[in-house]
Amino acid sequence: MQAFADIYKTYWQKIFRLCMGYVNDADLAKDMAQETFIIVWEQLPKFRNEANIGTWIFRIASNNCLRHIEKLNRFPRGELPPNLADEKIPGSEPQIQFLYKCIAELPETDRIIISLELENIKQAEIATIVGLSESNIRVRIHRIKEKLHQKFAANGQ
Amino acid sequence: MDNKINFKDLWAKQTSIEPNPGDLLLQISKMKRSNLRKLIVTNLMLVTVSAFIILIWIYYQPQLVSTKVGILLIILSMTIFLFAYNRSYTLFKEDINSKSNTDYLKELLAIKSKQQFMHTTMLNVYFILLSAGIGLYMYEYTSRMTIFWGIVAYGITLIWILFNWFYLRPKQIKKQQLKLDDMITKFKKLNNQLEA
Repeated sequence: MQAFADIYKTYWQKIFRLCMGYVNDADLAKDMAQETFIIVWEQLPKFRNEANIGTWIFRIASNNCLRHIEKLNRFPRGELPPNLADEKIPGSEPQIQFLYKCIAELPETDRIIISLELENIKQAEIATIVGLSESNIRVRIHRIKEKLHQKFAANGQ
Repeated sequence: MDNKINFKDLWAKQTSIEPNPGDLLLQISKMKRSNLRKLIVTNLMLVTVSAFIILIWIYYQPQLVSTKVGILLIILSMTIFLFAYNRSYTLFKEDINSKSNTDYLKELLAIKSKQQFMHTTMLNVYFILLSAGIGLYMYEYTSRMTIFWGIVAYGITLIWILFNWFYLRPKQIKKQQLKLDDMITKFKKLNNQLEA
């Protein structure tokens, strides 16, 4: 339980951002982050230290994102714990919003790759999460960043 | 190109208030219970029906082989149905969540095509065995009736079987298939992104 609480504390925001980059919808991203932690909780006893725990969690989270298309109707809104705190929407600055909007418009797997890169994950680790070679990841990240810069430039940001 | 934009900084500024992990765990146990309940109820129902049929066999001691074969076919059809039902439940229990995205998508596609097979083939086998079983089972009792009532009894059963075969079964299969086909196409698309 303590292990789970620590993981939850360390990774909640990171996983939330990954989901947010994938769908660009704060409520949905929160639901998806929670689904991720449900899987983490269930699979934690099976986790052996052969992999980095971060890699393991990001794999679960990104796979959950990829399966999102299937789950669209499975978790009716409001079934997951509601957020009682009356929160102001963080990250409401236009530049941040625009970044997430641009990322959510990329092809699905690119969204995952760039989100991990922006989360400061080493490219070698991204390669093991996604299952592509490191050089392939490097090329993709370069291309995605170029695309993002173009979009920002076009938008006059 | 404007290189002044620091995407990493912008990225990290997006945060969300984290829900209480206790609530989450509560939700998990609730969800698990309701899934398990559905599984148990379905299993229990079919086991009860099978037990009931066996009781009939013991109490009424059928004379003809056709009746006994009929009973066995009915039970077999339900066993197959249960097997398929339970299997599709456990397909996702296998731990594929922590594989790399590439492997995960491959596994997911494999699972989807297994489900496709089970939904069509197993459902067909179930219907055929069940219909044949009922037809055989009825023979002994119908043969004691007058021809008129015998025809009525078989006629009604036949109509019910035909209704199942030509209306309910295709409808069920089509519903599942549409969902699965759609899903498979989407997963293939994702898979292609990684192979490109």
